Amino acid sequence: MTEQVAVRMSGIVKRFPGVVANDGVNLEIRAGEVHALLGENGAGKSTLSNILTGLYRADDGVVEIAGHRCEFSSPRDALDAGIGMVHQHFRLVPTFTVAENVVLGESDGSLFMNQDQVATRVQELSDRYGLAVDPHARIWQLSVGEQQRVEILKVLYRGAKVLILDEPTAVLTPVEARSLFATLRAMADEGRSVIFISHKLGEVMAVSDRVTVLRGGRTVGTVNTSETSTRGLASLMVGRSVEFERVVRENPADITTTVLRVESVSANDDRGRASLHEVSFTVGRGEIVGVAGVAGNGQRELAEVISGMRASVAGRITVLDDEVKSGKARSAIARGIAHVPEDRLHTGLAAGHSVEDNLALKNYRTAQISRFRLLQRRAIREQASTLVERYDVKTPDTVTPVRLLSGGNVQKVLLAREFSALPSVLIAASPTRGLDVGAIETVRERLVAAADDGVGVLLISEDLDEILSLADRILVMYEGRIVDDLPAQGADRERIGLTMGGSNAKEVAQ
Amino acid sequence: MNSNIFIIIISSAIFYGTPLFFAALGGIFTERSGVLNLGVEGTMLIGAVAGAWGSQHVGGSSWMTITMAIVIGMAAGGLLSTLLAFLCITLKVNQTVAGLAVTIFAGAVGLSSYFAKIWGVSESPVTRQIRKFDVLGLADTPIVGPILFNQNILTYLSWVLCVTSSIYLFRSRFGLHLRAVGESPATADAMGINVARYRYLHTIFGGALAGVGGVFYSLAIVPNWVDGMTAGAGWIAIALVIFGFWRPSLTLLGAYLFGALQSLGSTLKARNVSVNGDLLNALPFFMTIVVLVLVSSRFAHRRLGAPAALGIPYEREER
Amino acid sequence: MRSPLRLERRLEQPKWLNWAIPLFSLVAALILGAIVLRLTGKNPVDVYQRIFERGFAGKRVFSDSLVSATPLAFTGLCAAVAFRMGLINVGGEGQLYMGSLGATWVGITFDDVPTGLMIVLMAAAGMLCGGLYAGIVGLLRARFGTNEIITSLMMNYLAGILLTYLVYNSFSYWRDPVSGNFPSPRAITQRAEWNTYTVFGVDLPIAFVMAIAMGFAVWFLYKRTRFGFEVGVIADSPKAARYAGIRTSSTIILVMGLSGAMAGLGGAADVGNFRRYMDPKGLELSGYGYTGIVVAALARLNPVAAVFVALLMGGLNNAGYSLRGPDFPSGLVGTLQGLILFTAVAGEILIKYRIRSNSRRSEVVTA
Repeated sequence: MTEQVAVRMSGIVKRFPGVVANDGVNLEIRAGEVHALLGENGAGKSTLSNILTGLYRADDGVVEIAGHRCEFSSPRDALDAGIGMVHQHFRLVPTFTVAENVVLGESDGSLFMNQDQVATRVQELSDRYGLAVDPHARIWQLSVGEQQRVEILKVLYRGAKVLILDEPTAVLTPVEARSLFATLRAMADEGRSVIFISHKLGEVMAVSDRVTVLRGGRTVGTVNTSETSTRGLASLMVGRSVEFERVVRENPADITTTVLRVESVSANDDRGRASLHEVSFTVGRGEIVGVAGVAGNGQRELAEVISGMRASVAGRITVLDDEVKSGKARSAIARGIAHVPEDRLHTGLAAGHSVEDNLALKNYRTAQISRFRLLQRRAIREQASTLVERYDVKTPDTVTPVRLLSGGNVQKVLLAREFSALPSVLIAASPTRGLDVGAIETVRERLVAAADDGVGVLLISEDLDEILSLADRILVMYEGRIVDDLPAQGADRERIGLTMGGSNAKEVAQ
Repeated sequence: MNSNIFIIIISSAIFYGTPLFFAALGGIFTERSGVLNLGVEGTMLIGAVAGAWGSQHVGGSSWMTITMAIVIGMAAGGLLSTLLAFLCITLKVNQTVAGLAVTIFAGAVGLSSYFAKIWGVSESPVTRQIRKFDVLGLADTPIVGPILFNQNILTYLSWVLCVTSSIYLFRSRFGLHLRAVGESPATADAMGINVARYRYLHTIFGGALAGVGGVFYSLAIVPNWVDGMTAGAGWIAIALVIFGFWRPSLTLLGAYLFGALQSLGSTLKARNVSVNGDLLNALPFFMTIVVLVLVSSRFAHRRLGAPAALGIPYEREER
Repeated sequence: MRSPLRLERRLEQPKWLNWAIPLFSLVAALILGAIVLRLTGKNPVDVYQRIFERGFAGKRVFSDSLVSATPLAFTGLCAAVAFRMGLINVGGEGQLYMGSLGATWVGITFDDVPTGLMIVLMAAAGMLCGGLYAGIVGLLRARFGTNEIITSLMMNYLAGILLTYLVYNSFSYWRDPVSGNFPSPRAITQRAEWNTYTVFGVDLPIAFVMAIAMGFAVWFLYKRTRFGFEVGVIADSPKAARYAGIRTSSTIILVMGLSGAMAGLGGAADVGNFRRYMDPKGLELSGYGYTGIVVAALARLNPVAAVFVALLMGGLNNAGYSLRGPDFPSGLVGTLQGLILFTAVAGEILIKYRIRSNSRRSEVVTA
């Protein structure tokens, strides 16, 4: 029975403008197994699962479900074929009960819902698979772990034979995670297949039967879990340690002067859950500190807390020994913290506003730009012209709305504004994501130039290569904590891969 | 006699509250689907004028004429709301402005008044009215008689609708889907529910009900046509939806409360009971604000609040 | 089931659309109105001609139109000020009433003050009352997240009831003490009556001049000051506003206050220049607040344009009023205004989006 193939994806190719997300990926899932899909960000896991669940259509390749070729044109088709996905971001109606959410969208012809019947069936499934949840509870009353169980129940209720879970433990406590693994095992023992998408090596080792590792849009290997180790998986995931072109610095970092000190900072995310746990580190003058880690481990909250967009619940942040008021962006700006955020067009910039307005977004309160509370248009325009030229922003003029600019130029506008403020600290979050090769070069050069000028740079990036090439020192974030702190020179890629995936740094170092 | 006055008050409350309930029930359906309809006042007036026209131009027995008049009023309300639905759902225009446009367009100095003139409705009194009738001869029963057994057909219809609407909303599959559309259209869409279709259907039906409410004015309350005869009932109905926490049963009670307040002032004055009529008039509006503030708080919002997606146009994220 | 058409955001908004679309909206509304007229057996050309004559042609007529237009200019400004920040203030009606209340009090109380100063005082009182009244709505929104549409709507009713109470159902300061059993409103003092100047044979109320000035002032505020900049950023992207350290809560309250102040000034103008007393019944019939929203929409929220669009609406109202009679259905005015609003909002959508057919399902990248 275990040799029966439930899902086979062969030669899957999926292209998007500028990138090939899946480049001939092969995946084979057997019935009755828990199969992990492992890879870094951008490796192609999400794209692949979106194809399998009918959200995307592959440009090339074949998908076979239980031996039959299938072409899904909508998520409905995939559901009908027995493929069920449990997303990272739940699709639940908060004010409805568990039972109502599970049965939503079902059309079995009956006009009235038999609430009790549904509740009974939900209870049955819940007991069978160890997904303890009260069918009559309302979603907003449930913990995140319980909400995830509802998502799983939704899929089971519809008789899914193949379940895909996308980073399911990202929102769970360790206890809940163990409970989830027991559930997955139970489902697999029944003959269902489970695809477990993750970047957490320890969990992959604990729960899966086989692992497929994706890197750069390709399958780099499929192994039996019993025949490998976290180290082995890590090296598959991040690749061999290649000698890196490290950037040459004009002025080396001066770590004796600390520009940014983060002391025991804790913070919550938008939903009120703890996302940063007593994070502490320093950045020296002219030092580039890279923050490595898979997205969703607290990096966004870290950037927001330091830049004052988010209040911390504990801890202190100081720039050159001046404290930054928690949650007050103005205070951070005044202390000389510059921030190039991940979300360029809607956080870092006001998309509908002109280039010149955006360039004045942070300093419009200063004396040159606004006298007597009146905006000096000429000063704004001059500032814009100077910056556009200096930073080589390709734009028809300074009154063009920024949303019309290309990605690279949008980033240049951001950099121009942040750098020209002569900051002490610069937080750059995913600064080269989505840019073309030329723009990437430029941005990296600018970051290094800033560091050479003495700015303390905190480079948060999912691109490990980038960090290895630019940073002086690397911090690894996992589940809201700094789990490793090592010099970039001669850093062991495997070690970083392991700690990124949750392994204990001390153990790895041995 | 003391009890007499209470009976009169309750009976009037039911009478005046009925059109408010129809319009508010329509509002419940529309808002539960996520669409804010501020055009209720105009829709009621269009229904009123259409119903008045119907009663004058449809021949046959009294029952036939009245029924057709109600149907015509419904159709007029539904038609006008189709326009609103198109603006709000397909064109995704700001729903407030669209609703106001409908009210100005069809309102007291708008289309309803225009049609009234053109069709000659305002000249002659309506030939058939909706009258109260005696149910099973029980109208003379002490206390409950005048209240329960001596109302008009629309009032009885409203009671039936209240029950069936509650069942529809909270016990049927379609009601569940509807509520999902209003709470979380993205989720509903992901589960295969056609968001646009539900919104269209319920907005149009809501308008049809508002039309019936309007017919009540032109054929039962003031059996004649007067420009703008609903005198703000549509706006009260909007407040009523919130006041009734988007539930038909509570809304019915609220409608009767508001209806009582409307007639209370004059009833009490006629009996030389001095009362500040304006304070009574102000009460519903003030209480609606209080309810709204309460309902916006985190605590109440989840248990009692507005459909979460109310007023927000839905766009499926192209993936 | 997908709809056959979909809206796609335009990348570029050609500048000429900014005035072309409102113009076309107007024309489209007139055409639709003509269709309605035709279908009901009336001659559109004839009707439109009469409207034009009674609304705009001639000095006397134009003067009367200015009377109708002036309060509309203020309520149009009220709506525009709020809408530009995405705040939907439908409470212009009530805010105007409160402005009327405050200005009348000043107008009744002071007798020995020169007219020029009276105008200033009454205007200030009107703006203060209207601004505070709207500020409550803003506070509820900023502090509790309460929907400002419904609250401002309810406040309209409360204001109307208050004014009716003060004039008709009580012996208040605003009621004419000699009116006995048939209550009527109390007039402001002679000195308090605002001036009207005769310019090229047209009666130009000083309030209209104030409206123009206010239009420019608001335009200036939004375009050239720090405050205006902040409002613009909040409207564009609340997240970016947070990023830049802009205080959103206080801005909401201030914008609502400003919006209400405009309507309140309209109320003061109505009392000072035209009615000369606080008139609950008349104000309710006029519905200036709601019509102001039509004005703002057609003017595409441009404060200066709003004043001139108000002229158009005022002319329309005036024509409707003076033409009323057996052969001119009064409902035409509201119908045309409604049609204009429909076409204006539909046109607004066309500026931002284009209509595309949904025959090929395309896929878009998300990063």
